[in-house]
Amino acid sequence: MREYMKKALNSFDTHAELRSQVSRTRRVSIVSGSLVGNSSSVSKGIGARVYNDGVWGFASKSTCDEKSALEVLSSAKENAALLSKGCPKNKGALVTAGAAEYTEKRPYQDVPQKTLVEFSKEVDSYIEKTYPDLTSRHVGLSTGCIEKTLTTTEGSFAYQLFPRTYMIVSMSAETSDGSTVELFDVIGGGEGYFSDHYSDPALTFPAVDSLYSELMAKKEGIFPDAGEALCIIDSSIAGMVAHEAVGHTVEADLVLAGSVAATNLGKEVASPLISLTDFAHTAFGKRAPLPVYVDDEGTLCQDAVIIKDGVLKSYMNNLESVQHFGVSPNGNARAYAFSDEPLIRMRNTAIHPGKDKLEDMIASVDKGYYLTRTQNGQADTTGEFMFGITMGYEIVNGKLGRALRDTTISGVAFNMLKTVDMLSDSVSWDFAGYCGKKQPMAVSMGGPSIRCKVNIGGR
Amino acid sequence: MENLKNTAKYIIDSLLSSGGDLAQASVSEGRVEEFNVDAGEFSLIRSVFNSGASMKVIKDMKKGTAAVNQLDREAIDNAVSECMNAAVTGVYDDALSIAEKEENEDFISGKLSCDKETFFSSLLKFINDVKEQYPEIMLEQVIASYSYGKHVLMNSNGVLFTEEDGSYSVSIMYSAHNEENTTSFNCVGVDYLDPAQDILEAADVRLMLERAVKELESIPFSGKFTGTAVFSPACLCDFVSTITDSFTGDLALIEGTSPWKDSLGKKVADEALCISVIPLSEEIVCGERITADGYKAQNYDIIKNGVLESFSLSEYAARKTGLERAKSTSGCVKVESGDRSLDEIISDIKDGILVCRFSGGEPANNGDFSGVAKNSFLIKDGKLSDPLSETMISGNIAQMLKSIKGISLESVNYGTCIMPYAAFDGITVSGAN
Repeated sequence: MREYMKKALNSFDTHAELRSQVSRTRRVSIVSGSLVGNSSSVSKGIGARVYNDGVWGFASKSTCDEKSALEVLSSAKENAALLSKGCPKNKGALVTAGAAEYTEKRPYQDVPQKTLVEFSKEVDSYIEKTYPDLTSRHVGLSTGCIEKTLTTTEGSFAYQLFPRTYMIVSMSAETSDGSTVELFDVIGGGEGYFSDHYSDPALTFPAVDSLYSELMAKKEGIFPDAGEALCIIDSSIAGMVAHEAVGHTVEADLVLAGSVAATNLGKEVASPLISLTDFAHTAFGKRAPLPVYVDDEGTLCQDAVIIKDGVLKSYMNNLESVQHFGVSPNGNARAYAFSDEPLIRMRNTAIHPGKDKLEDMIASVDKGYYLTRTQNGQADTTGEFMFGITMGYEIVNGKLGRALRDTTISGVAFNMLKTVDMLSDSVSWDFAGYCGKKQPMAVSMGGPSIRCKVNIGGR
Repeated sequence: MENLKNTAKYIIDSLLSSGGDLAQASVSEGRVEEFNVDAGEFSLIRSVFNSGASMKVIKDMKKGTAAVNQLDREAIDNAVSECMNAAVTGVYDDALSIAEKEENEDFISGKLSCDKETFFSSLLKFINDVKEQYPEIMLEQVIASYSYGKHVLMNSNGVLFTEEDGSYSVSIMYSAHNEENTTSFNCVGVDYLDPAQDILEAADVRLMLERAVKELESIPFSGKFTGTAVFSPACLCDFVSTITDSFTGDLALIEGTSPWKDSLGKKVADEALCISVIPLSEEIVCGERITADGYKAQNYDIIKNGVLESFSLSEYAARKTGLERAKSTSGCVKVESGDRSLDEIISDIKDGILVCRFSGGEPANNGDFSGVAKNSFLIKDGKLSDPLSETMISGNIAQMLKSIKGISLESVNYGTCIMPYAAFDGITVSGAN
């Protein structure tokens, strides 16, 4: 494949990429004992993107061979020429960072569907027997791998595998007023194959037990008082701050579209305690949760230091935006499916840890909230963010009080980050999410527990 | 279409000969021609040629499903094998089924070829119109596409439907900027059939851009009150989608978490509210013709004059719960217009907010919601007042539907859904201070 892909690009005198991809998934979903999902899928194809004087053409087909490679390159070239003719930009050639090379050594590992079904059934059976008072329960197990082979006209070649496996357990219970409360958790999993993360279902039971305990507390939960509050955002959801509140505003395509970060480069945007990095493949001395070595433009991936000691240092870029800003690329251009073009995407985005202990942070709050679980988040180019909070506790005189019902927190990122005055000394990562930005993308996000002021929704 | 039929038949035959009791296959081919605008400038043309086959088999009342995007014999054989393996390892469930035989039919709708040149010209005009008429507007991203597809659905009960359609769509993400301020982004999307469509005049695109310019003067809301929230058509569409997921959808009824689980035939909303699913309406662009289960789609009412007429259940969920299957699995929803204009409704509101985008967490099962009211305006003493930032709203969807203050005469057709403005009492509005 490498040879014919390389050969197909030979005739191009402008930047072009050719990417062949196979995406495999297996999913099992059990809802209150019924196996509602038991599926596998394979999606395979080849896509090409060609640059022409400031614009791009892209084409893809769901076949992977030399003929298809030539066809998609030809269509992509035609599209680029059509757009260049209709909207001339006269930007000249694209400057790239030279050739990158990476070949994944570890082979793809499949798992029989039966293994996933049996594992999920055991977890579901445990929940049913141990917690008969639940209104409903849901066990979802997902494993998949994206296999990418990339060549570019500059000679970059990358063969990368992106396997990811995780199990989500959710449960709901009825409250005394007849409504239901729900909680979910990602139990185990991460980068890699099923056997890398799961063996004995019983090993997941302690996490299931914890989830149930929290749900019971939530049943008796209260709604927070609406308005600004002093909060401890637990490390398990701090990644949302890194990703939603800050990350999206510093993606260079959104900066060029006028995000709040456009006028803040080099300025203090956060407390001096805050440093934030989009890690490529290694974070805090360890393999990052979802490592990326070469991006889909053929750039060798490096960390993007976004905020250092409270000062906005750089953006996340692709080859076009580095030309605009006069900086070096760090490899943030990624595509989800073979039929998708690379966009500027986050990889492993995290706030660096501080020196405080979580218990001291909680003890330092007279009246506020400790927020421990989130379900979704949204960002805005203004820096205004929102997270749905599904679990938390009030803090009264330095001690945890009653649990919270579902609520929402919001704020303006650079304002909120300036209120940060304590950071815990340990980092947690969330690796099971997808970021949505035209295309979905597997991303990880992390950070320490954060003491800050945010707006919290009430009832 | 014959190739797709042959592939579908091959899948059905293979699943049955491998031991399946019942089998269903869906096979498709299509293409997408897409224009992208980033930061106000054309950036990319994308052509996608796609195909796919999905299959379901039931063996001893155990189900397996598989999907593949290649239609060659080897890929199909592998998928058939995966599908059978999944069924063998499945769990017995007497609610499993495939679609029952109806009169077979071929459906054709929309524009079956792309007029790329005219489409491109209309997009160029839109970009230039916005630059000239609304210089404060930044078109952060515009994705304009023509999609064509042909599709065969076949099963071992003798069902054979074919479908061929094509349409244009545009999705616009924008914000407004001046030297001092930047507004929140907002989005509007429209589906249509005429490649020469004047995009600025489609749906409520022009009004949304005009409002964005006004939002440049937005101020953070201070304080807290309980009053009336008027949801814009696009915002109402999001809330209706939540209703069809959390109140009338599969999981909510299977798990029994829907607050309306025992309310079929009962009043669940103000009698002014009528929500219907209308895939066959001429107002909808290329609406659903074949349901996801394999039945011929029909229009149906979810709520009529405030009474819950139907849930939105798949056949599986219907059999599981003993309720009726919905007649369409599409999201082609229409909320009936009211009899007063938006201005008249606002004139009756003492303290309220016009919400043009809601950015919030997933509502709780009981309908409790909270989030940020984006691109929104204060309503004070019957008049639209300051544009707002940093403003949160909260309420309960089930209660909200019983407290309708008005539904507007005006409605907006997005091609995929038709929505008016709707005003609801009992919404808490709060600011940072």
